[in-house]
Amino acid sequence: METSSDSVAADGTVASLDVSVQPTRAVVWRHHVLVRWTHWLTVPLLLGLILSGVSIYSFGPVYQHAPDAITGNTDYVADVGIWLCAHVPGLHHYRDPPAWVYDHFGRPRSFTAALRLHWLLVYLFMLNGTVYMLGLVLGGGYRALLPRLSDIRDGSAMALQYAGVIFAKIVRRSRPHPHEATKYNPLQRLSYCAMPLAGLLAILSGWAMHKPMQLHWLATMFGGYDDARIWHFWLTWVFVIFTVPHVILILLDGWDTMRSMFFGWSERTGGGPR
Amino acid sequence: MSDDGEQKPAGALTDRHQRSSRGIFSEEPPAIVRVTEAELRACNRRELLKYGLGGAAVAALGGYATFGLSKPRRSKLLAGILTFDDDVAKAMYSPERLVPTYTKSEVTNLRVTYFGGAPDPSYIPGWRLTLRGLRSGRAETLTIDDLRRQFIIRDQITRLVCVDGWSAIAWWSGLRFNELLHAYPPTDNAKWAKLESSVSTDGMGHSDPYFVSIDLPTARHAQTILATQRNGLPLTVEHGAPLRLVAPMKLGLKNIKAITEITYSVEEPQDFWGNLGFSHYDGI
Repeated sequence: METSSDSVAADGTVASLDVSVQPTRAVVWRHHVLVRWTHWLTVPLLLGLILSGVSIYSFGPVYQHAPDAITGNTDYVADVGIWLCAHVPGLHHYRDPPAWVYDHFGRPRSFTAALRLHWLLVYLFMLNGTVYMLGLVLGGGYRALLPRLSDIRDGSAMALQYAGVIFAKIVRRSRPHPHEATKYNPLQRLSYCAMPLAGLLAILSGWAMHKPMQLHWLATMFGGYDDARIWHFWLTWVFVIFTVPHVILILLDGWDTMRSMFFGWSERTGGGPR
Repeated sequence: MSDDGEQKPAGALTDRHQRSSRGIFSEEPPAIVRVTEAELRACNRRELLKYGLGGAAVAALGGYATFGLSKPRRSKLLAGILTFDDDVAKAMYSPERLVPTYTKSEVTNLRVTYFGGAPDPSYIPGWRLTLRGLRSGRAETLTIDDLRRQFIIRDQITRLVCVDGWSAIAWWSGLRFNELLHAYPPTDNAKWAKLESSVSTDGMGHSDPYFVSIDLPTARHAQTILATQRNGLPLTVEHGAPLRLVAPMKLGLKNIKAITEITYSVEEPQDFWGNLGFSHYDGI
């Protein structure tokens, strides 16, 4: 079975140059270059947006309660800081306990600087998201992200299996991970498809907050100006809640998955991660 | 070999479009390419080089912006994003677009936002509004009774949005800024109004005048009013007695209380929060 047309076996001297006899690896192209680049650019952009967002939040917390009888505090996030400084060893002498969370997760702490950074990063974030979408279309990668009807059944089964992992460990029963013929398994598809949507909703709710009068129809779509702030707040948590297991699972899954997001190719020719 | 992908010669490792014969939404197995180690390494080198170039460019630009620029130049650069965002806001603004209005049952509590506390109300009896930069060349001085007599007082229930994030729905009554502009026209090429309150005080009770810039297209908007009343009663000192600006298409910080002077100008005037690093335009 001769597969190579440029074989030089006829003169019998340079067989080592013949690709058909050199060791080869079967690879598939997994991520378009624009998808890979924008994926990595999302990391600093989203981090900066969250840090400056926390700082902006500190100047007008969404979630507030009646003033505390002793401290006069109304901010639940400040309560967290007060509690931490009261209970965590080493924090007892923190100079400003209500500001602990903001001091550690909000950057920059200046309101005007945080606003400027947030605007700067969000314009870049929107540009980045647009290029990501372009990469999905050019590389055809969007096909693998689209949910399908079978995901309801298969995704539930997977979720149940994950829920049973600890039980399986206890009874020492091995539970093989289902193998997928598609690029992603149903739960990956759900979460990877949800991220661009969450990004879009975060941008839209942000604009609803930023221009609630000129874009009042947009604010109305989120339930009004005040509710758009609540959407924006919880969408931030969607990113955080996605990122933690995303990073852990990618590291557990092995080098091939990580490498494919750097270089584009993967040796998993038979579908998605095991 | 039945699979097309298996037939690909080495050296064909490039981004490829996943085409599908089953429609534009169907996922099909990707094309499998057989490549040599050398080709894979060459591919990785190409990609690494691109990352390196991109990363170096970002690092150089970021490093220059962070360490290479003097502090004033750096803050000017960051201020550029405010200018850009203001340009976006100006492009979005339409003088015909009305902001949402509400019913009296939707009115909410309104915070008092005088930073140094409300000023001593002793200014109220002698209060006058002075208009400068008029076409007539004269300065006009008006009492609150002059304003109430000369202009139609209209109700307006709109949302006030603070730069901090909170908002409140308030019932105001006042005259349209646009009608004041018609009665006392500014100089012909005026583009701006500077609204000042000489009665504001700082936390120590010392005089600390407040001033905002308002572009005339915003001043002429049908819902930009000079309010004399809230909840159907004359304004209290905490909410800007006897006359304050209500411009719901601007952030709350532009809605200046206890206006004592309005000056029209061709050049953009100073703005209290604009001077402190916030946007100068504040259109929302």
